[in-house]
Amino acid sequence: MTRQLNRPRPARVRWRDGAPARVDGEAVESLRESWLVEDRWWTDRPLRRRYWELVGTRGRNLIVFHDLCSGRWFRQGA
Amino acid sequence: MVVCIHLPRFELAVAAGDHAHIAQQTLTGRALAVAPQAGAEQRVGEVSGAAEARGVARGMALGEALARCPDLTLIPSDPVRVAEAWQQALCTLESIGAAVEPARPGLAYFEAGALRALHGNPKATIAAARRALASSSKRDRSVRIGGAPTRFCALAAAMATRSSRPLILEGSDARRWLAGRPVGLLGFRKDTAALIEPLTRLGVRTLGELERLGRTALADRFGEPGMLAHRLARAEDTPLCPRRVEEELRETMAVGDASSGEALRRVLSVLVRRLLARTERRGRTLRAATLSADLLAGGGWRERVVFRQAVADPERIWLALSLRLQSLPAPAAELTLAVERFGPPLGDQGELFEETSAITHATRMREAIAQIRTVAGQDAALRAVCVDPDSRVPERRVMLAPIPD
Repeated sequence: MTRQLNRPRPARVRWRDGAPARVDGEAVESLRESWLVEDRWWTDRPLRRRYWELVGTRGRNLIVFHDLCSGRWFRQGA
Repeated sequence: MVVCIHLPRFELAVAAGDHAHIAQQTLTGRALAVAPQAGAEQRVGEVSGAAEARGVARGMALGEALARCPDLTLIPSDPVRVAEAWQQALCTLESIGAAVEPARPGLAYFEAGALRALHGNPKATIAAARRALASSSKRDRSVRIGGAPTRFCALAAAMATRSSRPLILEGSDARRWLAGRPVGLLGFRKDTAALIEPLTRLGVRTLGELERLGRTALADRFGEPGMLAHRLARAEDTPLCPRRVEEELRETMAVGDASSGEALRRVLSVLVRRLLARTERRGRTLRAATLSADLLAGGGWRERVVFRQAVADPERIWLALSLRLQSLPAPAAELTLAVERFGPPLGDQGELFEETSAITHATRMREAIAQIRTVAGQDAALRAVCVDPDSRVPERRVMLAPIPD
């Protein structure tokens, strides 16, 4: 049976001053990049995501996205 | 249609099998529970209906169970007999042509659609399964059977029926019916068992209420298990994965005075050599074996051993198995060694010419994959396949796919 890799997992994100300030309880040290992905806008299930690449206080790279259709936050590997 | 076969309190009934007077009490309403194994975590096994009514549940700490029900009768656990009786029940089901997926002792599934040519419609198939089970063992006459489009629905149906008549659900009726069933049914799935407690605290009683919470909310709160629970509540499930049927090869020996220690290890050595000498082995290696013992004090002990690589060398097999004998909880009366899975018929001969590293690597990889599958199931070893490496959406770039044999 085939399985998707790197599936988005729900995340708790605290927002401050126009950028994520905490991801799943871990404070954000710095913001590296942000980009927008829009895809399948021609279908019934369009995909609109605002991605944020961040560095946490533990030194880890964190990639989270805001699903602009449902309004929910997810985290995802690189 | 998926058919669920449920033999209620199977473990308890088998463990009580040697104690005829206790077996009678099971039916007459005494509070019974399977005792914890010596050396293992002190939690009770399967419990009788009377014990359940007094608040004792499977997996409860022994102290708590006795505090709730002081006259609880403990029956020595007998994993050996449970495994044997369950194997017999599975073989009985397979004898009617069913490809069986065992879930745990007393619970199994098979696809009835595949048996249409043999038995006719699903009702006739279920009747054939019931007849086969009833004729093989008196204990299996109490079987509860449910039929539904998916595994989880069939389980719910089998749990709901209280008589010998099977409960069969079809099409959209199944989903409607499932909505009224308790969320406790999720406890029969390892992935969703942990959700029962928080769902109960949140006041979610039925699968219908769970479904109405919505996939998004469940994913948000519980992640992957929440999404699975939602799918199950919507009467959706994964296809069955029937077990692979292999011939049985076993050797048993009464150990006499050699019930423990060095003498028992020598008995094991004899068993290993006898097993390897059997002509039915046809030169095949052993990948996994089961070592079991009947204990002098009553009850049994059972250990599954997966070898690091498929072997046919008696010394190496003995070495791996003798280490397990140390966990024997009490002196043994009888020792049994059975082959659970065979490996390829390869000799352990040295190479005359050195193999190229590519061939060695491929052989080792095949061996490693086979070992992983033996220990953790068929889906345990998968390969990553680049589907759309340039996709802007990360989860579309790579998929996990099965590795061909």
